[in-house]
Amino acid sequence: MANELTAGKTFGALVDIPRCIGCESCSVACKLYNGLEWEAERKYLTPEDRAVEPNKGLWPEDWTSITQYNPEKDGARTIRFVKNQCFHCDDPACVSACFSKAFQKMPEGPVIYDQSLCVGCRYCMLACPFDIIKYEWGKAIPGCRKCQMCAPRVAQGEAPACVSVCPTGALFYGEKDQVLAEAKRRIAENGYIDHVFGEREAGGTSWFYISDVPFAAMRFRTDVTTKPLPSYTKSYMAATPVVGIGWAAVLAGLYIYNNKGKDHLD
Amino acid sequence: MASKDGPTHKLSRRSFLKLVGGAGALGATLGMAGCGETAPSDRAAGAQGWMPSQYNVPAGWPVQVRGRVAIAPDNPSITRDSEKCILCGQCVEVCKNVQSVFDNYELPFKEEIICIHCGQCTHWCPSGAITEVDETDKVLRAIDDPDKFVVVQMAPSTRVGLGEEFGFPVGRNVERLQYAALYELGFDAVFDTNFSADLTIMEEGSELVRRVLGVNEHDGHENNTLPQFTSCCPGWVKFVEYYYPDLIEHLSSAKSPQQMTGPLYKTYYAEINGIDPRKIFSVSIMPCTAKKFEAARPEMNSASRLKGDPDISPDVDVVLTVRELARLIKRRGINFNDLTEVDCDKIMGEYTGAGAIFGATGGVMEAAVRSAYYLITGEQPPPGLWELTNVRGLDGVKEAAVNIPGAGEVKVCVVSGLANARAVMDRVRAGDRSYAFIEVMACPSGCQYGGGQPRSSSPPSDEVRTERTAALYQIDREAKLRNSHDNPAIIALYDNYLEEPGSELAEFLLHTSYTSRADKLTVKRIQEPTLI
Ligand code: SF4
Ligand code: SF4
Ligand code: SF4
Ligand code: SF4
Ligand code: SF4
Repeated sequence: MANELTAGKTFGALVDIPRCIGCESCSVACKLYNGLEWEAERKYLTPEDRAVEPNKGLWPEDWTSITQYNPEKDGARTIRFVKNQCFHCDDPACVSACFSKAFQKMPEGPVIYDQSLCVGCRYCMLACPFDIIKYEWGKAIPGCRKCQMCAPRVAQGEAPACVSVCPTGALFYGEKDQVLAEAKRRIAENGYIDHVFGEREAGGTSWFYISDVPFAAMRFRTDVTTKPLPSYTKSYMAATPVVGIGWAAVLAGLYIYNNKGKDHLD
Repeated sequence: MASKDGPTHKLSRRSFLKLVGGAGALGATLGMAGCGETAPSDRAAGAQGWMPSQYNVPAGWPVQVRGRVAIAPDNPSITRDSEKCILCGQCVEVCKNVQSVFDNYELPFKEEIICIHCGQCTHWCPSGAITEVDETDKVLRAIDDPDKFVVVQMAPSTRVGLGEEFGFPVGRNVERLQYAALYELGFDAVFDTNFSADLTIMEEGSELVRRVLGVNEHDGHENNTLPQFTSCCPGWVKFVEYYYPDLIEHLSSAKSPQQMTGPLYKTYYAEINGIDPRKIFSVSIMPCTAKKFEAARPEMNSASRLKGDPDISPDVDVVLTVRELARLIKRRGINFNDLTEVDCDKIMGEYTGAGAIFGATGGVMEAAVRSAYYLITGEQPPPGLWELTNVRGLDGVKEAAVNIPGAGEVKVCVVSGLANARAVMDRVRAGDRSYAFIEVMACPSGCQYGGGQPRSSSPPSDEVRTERTAALYQIDREAKLRNSHDNPAIIALYDNYLEEPGSELAEFLLHTSYTSRADKLTVKRIQEPTLI
């Protein structure tokens, strides 16, 4: 819960792509803090390997990942690293798609997922414009997994785990308007491309990216609408409320049935 | 809870019951959701782990050291098991403050992650996450290949480190057990890099004398630039190529000991013994991770170029650190402590005390001064030069002045640790010409605590450094011969093959040149003050 440092405030984070050295402190911190597993088959993937994965290296146990691209800059091949995670949209499509309220937008900024409310319908995955949410297909009790922006830390006034460990200042965190101002200051100071990715994309998000090479060269989704996405999903859901709830009830029932009698206890 | 997915999230009985309970009362759940109840942040997924306490502070508070160094997947020297990393920041600490590499560039990177491969981070990493790149498999494959003639050389400081891996006290010299272990592993010939160190002194010392006399030539042009810098530490060499490319002419063109004898195994030794050089596979045991990088430098294939035969492999095929050698010995089930001491192959294994002390900071300088004295005066150095105490010890920067008849007072400087080197280099760059010769080793206190030596304490301790160093000087003190130029195997090598130091053939096989790496990074605009 918010405390005196955070009450009534909204927070955001900045990824300054040219300052990222690809050390992956951030993704290790995410694993440490969230207790995520190291999966043998993915442990030794390199940032370049991840850059060609359809999901850019986001898996149920990998909520953030570093991808490496080799775009040209001033006629020479160069290396750039991009941190990927949930954008924590201002008006999140996942939240409005989730009729059982397993996804929630926190007042401080994070978009969180509460598995105890999830019925497993996976509408959220379809709704997310950035293909962030990963379903635990292999699990007996599957859930939808994604970055939580370290909501308990944020609520206490601490930076998300990943931001707190970044050794170069590539990650910057604070109140959202300060972060945006810092993004614009860095763009001006370093002659970056005049675009804060996330400021308007998907109707505005809490994670911003700035870069000195075109975003399109690093697999950013540059065709994403700037209109808040729920305005689409809401009308869709409004037109089919009975089907929506009915289908969800079926899924929820199946879910309980499927898991009945299995011993998943410690 | 065990599942076929291996160890998955530990779901506690309580959270499971909560989950089933919530889902079981389906109507209630949906109804609750419909009411728009806000889940508090502590019901978010995750957040069940742990973070070092230094990071559990309000955003924006200062944190002493953050995160870790970046390691490129194709770094030939070091690698990391991220699962073991606890984000303590020790690697950043050593890389930035001791070696002055990390953060000594402007971001963004250009085309590579900057690293000089010293491997000091493997010592500072408390959890063993950062290690050398393990190449033991390559060596086993070569040994098991009947078609290959596998030779091995072992560097000066390896013998005062390896024992620690087998329970010997710190600083025990296990030289002759190590030879035995190498034969036992199946190497066809075992050589000693101490010999190569003596050879380096002959080439590098002669070069120094030529520079002092103003008659040095290399690669077809005159180069009498002083002070001359040592070039046997590949971490230091890469550091110069990155940060002081304008001082490259100061670097001795003499290769490091490892790279001097690498091509000689495939030429001199192959000819004497009638072995097809294409079959020779050359391994070196080094206290160093940067040696892996050095061996992989594309120009390090002089044997192949001399013979005009592309089927001759690089001068040194594989470099193993001492830690890898210990692993190899254990993998092959050899009981190190029960081995019988033996000698190595003397044709390229005979050595003097001067070669033996290469592993200590100041050792190369001391060895060079002994032979420079001889080369300038034609007389044996006085015994005083056998104990050049000013250049001994663990200090990062040491100086000495030596009187050599005919050359007058020669001032020399010995540096270890690259942050220390920066301070001295900045003086040279500014025009300070007071020294004739500067020895630099990237690793603080020299190779005996190089990035490939056993991890005896983390971070490295001066106690261990002192013990290992003392063992090296002990070898020198007890050696029958103490000057490189007196080594009979070296004399034979020149008589039978190379003719004389700096000959055309010696130039081709034993000397090299360096490339500026200035275009690989943007040097920091504001230089932070460095320590001395
Ligand atoms: S990026 Fe996707 S998962 Fe994250 S808040 Fe936006 S819609 Fe939801
Ligand atoms: S905000 Fe937290 S959960 Fe999200 S990527 Fe960073 S560390 Fe992971
Ligand atoms: S911790 Fe910072 S510098 Fe390192 S990979 Fe993450 S964003 Fe990049
Ligand atoms: S090997 Fe040396 S230069 Fe490279 S990261 Fe480690 S400490 Fe830094
Ligand atoms: S020293 Fe080792 S454990 Fe500590 S941050 Fe570096 S890699 Fe991680």
